[in-house]
Amino acid sequence: MTLLAIDSREAPRRRLFKAEDRPLVSAGLYLALALCIALPLTLMFLWSVADGWQPPSIFPQSFTTSRWIHILGDENLVAALLTSLFIAFTVTILTALIAMPTAWAMGRFPFRLKRLVEIFILAPVIIPGLVVAVGVGKVFLLLGLAYSVAGVIIVQIVGTLPLMIRLMSATFETIPDELIHAARSLGAGTASIVLHVILPLSVPGLLAGGLMSFIGSFEEFDKSFIVGAPVIQTLPIKLYMYLDPYSMQLPLAAIVSFILLLPALIVFIIAGRIMRDDLMAAGMGKI
Amino acid sequence: MMSELEIRNLTKHYGETRVLHPVSLSVERGEFVTILGPSGCGKSTLLRILMGISEASGGEIHLAGKRLDLAPPEARDIAMVFQSYALFPHMSVAKNLGFGLKMKNVPKDERAKRIAHVVDICNLHGLLDRMPRQLSGGQQQRVALARAVVMQPSLLLFDEPLSNLDAKLRDSLRHDLVALHRRIGTTSLYVTHDQAEAMAMSDRIVVMNAGRIVEIGTPLELYRSPRHVFTAQFLGQTNLLTVEASGTGGRLPWGQVITLDRPATGTAQVSLRPENIAIIADENGVATVSSVAFLGATLFYTMEIGTLSLKVSQAGGVDPLSVGTRVSFDLAGPVHLLDHLPMAEAA
Repeated sequence: MTLLAIDSREAPRRRLFKAEDRPLVSAGLYLALALCIALPLTLMFLWSVADGWQPPSIFPQSFTTSRWIHILGDENLVAALLTSLFIAFTVTILTALIAMPTAWAMGRFPFRLKRLVEIFILAPVIIPGLVVAVGVGKVFLLLGLAYSVAGVIIVQIVGTLPLMIRLMSATFETIPDELIHAARSLGAGTASIVLHVILPLSVPGLLAGGLMSFIGSFEEFDKSFIVGAPVIQTLPIKLYMYLDPYSMQLPLAAIVSFILLLPALIVFIIAGRIMRDDLMAAGMGKI
Repeated sequence: MMSELEIRNLTKHYGETRVLHPVSLSVERGEFVTILGPSGCGKSTLLRILMGISEASGGEIHLAGKRLDLAPPEARDIAMVFQSYALFPHMSVAKNLGFGLKMKNVPKDERAKRIAHVVDICNLHGLLDRMPRQLSGGQQQRVALARAVVMQPSLLLFDEPLSNLDAKLRDSLRHDLVALHRRIGTTSLYVTHDQAEAMAMSDRIVVMNAGRIVEIGTPLELYRSPRHVFTAQFLGQTNLLTVEASGTGGRLPWGQVITLDRPATGTAQVSLRPENIAIIADENGVATVSSVAFLGATLFYTMEIGTLSLKVSQAGGVDPLSVGTRVSFDLAGPVHLLDHLPMAEAA
């Protein structure tokens, strides 16, 4: 009886919005989007091209593109960009590969001390990257991994792994046992089941985890800096060099932010496109 | 001569808990056999062992003359229709149907031919390009069925495939299934807890309870002359009564003398089906109507005789008797005597 009572109280809450509220709701959402993304981007862009912008004027007094030309003209920047892209791709793929077995176990098997293992997996998120990097940096020096691309990749994976494991185990949890049994009874061996059933159904999770890992790696600064700099120059390391610690350089900071934001934006637009695809949605639909 | 499917002394236990006591069963080629029992009777465990998802603790299974229980699940010549359909949600109907054939390396033109055939017999025309979530429940179940049939297995397994559908659809799919079985003739093992389904579809029914086979027989045998109390109660409605028997004569608790269908002596138990009791209003009758339910095609009464109550059903064409009416009744034909067996000896 108590259960029924709770249900009836929750039922109307689910229908909070009706069809006629749609214009109002979408207006609100668009406004929030503009405030959170468009406004800061506009301000950043204005700062990056402003040649003097003092209060109380609302717009900069004059504009210049010289700073953009100066930074984009730096040929080391392209090299840094390529290094960053290479590292980000490798980190993403390795993270996915390493995360999968753990995620499978976390998502599909009950075992003792599961909670403890979960906390252990999330530990890198709780501990600041700087602390990890300082400790790991010391070890890497001994192992000869310091100042190497491999070292940077490994230290970045420490940061990207927890989220990937979480997302993948949540995805694996949703795959019904029956599907796997069905595939098996239709003659599929373990490899075929992974290839034809589990992987396609994990695409949404893989995509989400992959994006997070890619962006996390691409924009990672402190761990890469301690392990890799100055020999390995990733894009963030290169760009942070432009920031003068002795005077607040808003225009330069704006340009740095812009360049670092670009890949994230591109990746998310691509992801949005793919996610809308029918096939992908099927993976998340009911069975 | 060995049967198509032979299950011999199959057991399963988890630690100290026995979920399957030795179970033996043989199914002839082309037979449609239903395993019927309440939830927890061991029927699902038996199915899981047949599929290879679960391992038996003892015993042997032979299918088409070959040892089945030692083969890995993917190498067994078995196809299964699941309760949840278990269609691959990321594959179109055509890909779902072709999946098993592809896994078993059936050549492409042969694959196309077999899919075309199964589309025909399962009536899936025009659905091949749809995704599973674009199908109705009934369509999904037909695809699941087709996906199993297309494998042309030695044995088809059904795990309560109709229980997620609404009553009307269930009825029509039940007929389709029977027709399909008649057409393809694949040996089938159908697991359900729905006695009406079992009665309507099976060549033989295997009644299971508490990890044992209680009784095996055709629907007619099991309904009309069950050996065991459990079968009598599980298949349809019945009145269980104790009689004092001597020879083929018996004496009901309220003194009425009846004829038994076979001789016995001493205290025995009989099963009296509600439809075999004919009642008429009679002021001097021994019984009183205590409830009436009009179900359209049938009228369902409960009668009180002293402290006992009896279930009686009547064709729905007549005017119902009202509660409190005194009635007398006749029994059509001899009354069925149950075997006096405690549960554990039934297997």
